[in-house]
Amino acid sequence: MWTLILLIVLSLILGLGAWLFFMWSARSGQYDDPEGPKYRMLDDDDEPLGKKKK
Amino acid sequence: MSALKCDHCLLTFPEKDAVYDETEGQKHIFCCNGCQGIYTLIHSEGLEDFYEKRKWKDAGVASALKRTMDIKPFTEHIRDVEGKKELDIFIEGIRCSSCVWLNEKILLRTAGIEYARVNYATHKAKIRWDPEVIGLEKIIRRILSVGYVPRPYCESEQFKARRAETRDLLVRFGTAGFLSSQLMIYTTALYAGYFQGIDKNLKLLFEVIAMFLTMPVLFYCGMPFIRNTLTGLRRLHFSMDSLITIGAGSAFIYSIYQMGIGGTVYFDTSAMIITLILLGRYIESTAKGRASETIERLAELSPKEARKIREIQDEPAGEAEFVPISAVRKGDLLQVIPGERIPLDGRVTSGESEVDEALITGESRPVSKRVGSEVVGGSVNLYGALTFEVTRTGRDTVLSGIIRAVEDAQARKPKIQILADRIVGYFVPAILLLTLATVAGYLIKGASIHSALMTGISVIVIACPCSLGLATPLAVLVFSTMASSKGLLIRNGGVVEHTSAITHLLFDKTGTITVGKPSLKELIVVDEDLRREKLLCIAASIESLSEHSIGRAITAASEGKPLPVSGFRAIPGKGIEGDINGSLVVIGNRTLMRERGVGSGVLRSFDNTVLRYEKGGDTVIYMAWEGKMRALFVVADVIREEAPGVIAELKSIGLTVIMVSGDNINTTASIAAAVGIDDAISETSPEGKKEVIAGLQASGRQVMMVGDGINDAPALTQSLVGVAMGRGADIAMESADAVLVRNDLRLIPYFVSLSRKSYSIIKQNIFWAFFYNVVAIPLAISGMLHPIMAAGAMAASSLLVVLNSLRIKRAE
Repeated sequence: MWTLILLIVLSLILGLGAWLFFMWSARSGQYDDPEGPKYRMLDDDDEPLGKKKK
Repeated sequence: MSALKCDHCLLTFPEKDAVYDETEGQKHIFCCNGCQGIYTLIHSEGLEDFYEKRKWKDAGVASALKRTMDIKPFTEHIRDVEGKKELDIFIEGIRCSSCVWLNEKILLRTAGIEYARVNYATHKAKIRWDPEVIGLEKIIRRILSVGYVPRPYCESEQFKARRAETRDLLVRFGTAGFLSSQLMIYTTALYAGYFQGIDKNLKLLFEVIAMFLTMPVLFYCGMPFIRNTLTGLRRLHFSMDSLITIGAGSAFIYSIYQMGIGGTVYFDTSAMIITLILLGRYIESTAKGRASETIERLAELSPKEARKIREIQDEPAGEAEFVPISAVRKGDLLQVIPGERIPLDGRVTSGESEVDEALITGESRPVSKRVGSEVVGGSVNLYGALTFEVTRTGRDTVLSGIIRAVEDAQARKPKIQILADRIVGYFVPAILLLTLATVAGYLIKGASIHSALMTGISVIVIACPCSLGLATPLAVLVFSTMASSKGLLIRNGGVVEHTSAITHLLFDKTGTITVGKPSLKELIVVDEDLRREKLLCIAASIESLSEHSIGRAITAASEGKPLPVSGFRAIPGKGIEGDINGSLVVIGNRTLMRERGVGSGVLRSFDNTVLRYEKGGDTVIYMAWEGKMRALFVVADVIREEAPGVIAELKSIGLTVIMVSGDNINTTASIAAAVGIDDAISETSPEGKKEVIAGLQASGRQVMMVGDGINDAPALTQSLVGVAMGRGADIAMESADAVLVRNDLRLIPYFVSLSRKSYSIIKQNIFWAFFYNVVAIPLAISGMLHPIMAAGAMAASSLLVVLNSLRIKRAE
């Protein structure tokens, strides 16, 4: 029984962590541009030689 | 004269205009110095990848070249962040992901700019820079230099509220989703226990956890529903929200009671109803937000201040002062210096300049303005100072007209949604009555109060159709995603329903059935005393002031220097006129010639020649002055190659296809015959097109209009569904319900069949959403309702709605 309760509490804590993570991502605007990431991951940042970074 | 293709903007252009350039052994051809400049800049930054990456094949660039930009509207939005400046701007002219990439790279390689990121969905860029290294003006010029137009991005209170609402819905939905998934773990254990037996204490423990997980879903995530129900209840008004609240609430209370007496609980039903409805609302809210950005951008065009010329005893004194736009009255004289936006509509009283009206009319070339010309608020004065008399203010201006039209279009709700809402309005009281009847029935039969109440509540719980909230938004979402992936922009949700009901399809001729880039095929000199070049030059001088595509054909063919024109006037649907060297030159159709005093005998002598050309699908334009015919211009336009196939396809799916044109009967008829349209209406003015549609609608027909020009805007608004060609005038696009981003007519039959399919799926969805619950009601009344059955019915109907909506993707 105690093992079960321990596991339940553990799962709820893990769940709470996931929820907090979601809240943080929603508040920091991660869902504002759902289109971008699929293109951004294909962009190479290979700067040509001799160019100053940024 | 052979045509070349510009390496930067992909426009085809005559060889004589070509600009050649050689970089690192590679030869390039450009249509103008502007494109060459952009290419050189992109090349020198090592960003040629842009040409490989870009995915568009349509020609043209944003009309940004060599434009001066007034930075004042930007400055008020600048924020200070840790000693750095930050600003949100909207970048116009972004067409695909490579444009975003180019803008970000070009900005990041500018010394002083620390952060630049463009949102792919909204084209809003966030830029942060060091004010000590670079000024805002330079940043703006940097974006202009690659051919994009930066615009101030500011959010109205209304828009901010909507965005906050969307985020609020996301947080509520996310929280509900997370809690529901946790809840499912314990509910599954309880279901297993229901069949296999479960230890009593363990059951109670799971039930208590389930209750605590459901509580926030109901009282936090479901709060908007509860609030709406309470306000609705005061007016005895039942909506979807009251059904959700009653269903979820009674399931929750019932479960707590059952927990106490050791029965079975329904916490999952309570939580799932709210989660699924929230998902539907979130989808709807994001779609709406995307659509409302157009309005924001339009509203941003109107300046907030104007330079009013001070009056001393009703006499204008030369001096100008800044006044707020609301203080300007009709008849006031306003001054606009180069680079500024024209604040209101009016007529020029002094000065001469060129004005960029691209945002209002779609005309990408600057339009010249002289004394007497009309100017439109929101357009940009390019070269010289202008003074004009205000003719329209406030809600009467062209710009506010456009904004209103767009707002109206977006406020429309799909009728089926309204129908579903109405059904719910009756459904809720009906269920409540049924519940009362059940309770009464059980009491009469001699059952205990307790068991009668419990059966009653189970009727309410099972009757709540939770997938109803998903039925329409989800299908509309899949529909508009499918449409946009093919190059069809859907502007409001009602389009699905309207398009599926279409019986008649009206096509505009120029620019829709034809390519819309007419060229001068022949010039027939009537007045033998004048040289061809001279005639062409006179015609081009006047036509250069017109926005009509035929005018462009004549202007493009002329090589001479334009002559000064005064008193320019366009007679819609007929032609144009203007004074050159003191004589009134009239260019237009036969009717206009008659009206301007050209003898009918003279006109008749050309009829055979004209008829021959018109039978071949060409348009003939007359030019006359002082009552004498001077020349005939034969202008030819090319029919879109896909048009005949598309027309045949549309006819085969049972639609009546009609073509309307401002052109004469012979030209219209021959083009109609060439593409297979049986019914062609010629010589219609913009208002005439609208009346044709109104006439059809009066006899109960459902009309879709496809057009591209400013002259089509009234017809597009009048029709049930207006479709604008993507390269058309902005005003046409704003008044349309759907826009063809790719100018491909094949999208029209696709659009119709996709809408028909989607609409039938929405109807099925609504049917199934109700069906499952209605079927289960007798079970609940008979008191044989299993908790498994309740959960099963709910999951099954929701799943069915989701899967059914996805079927739209398989539409051909």
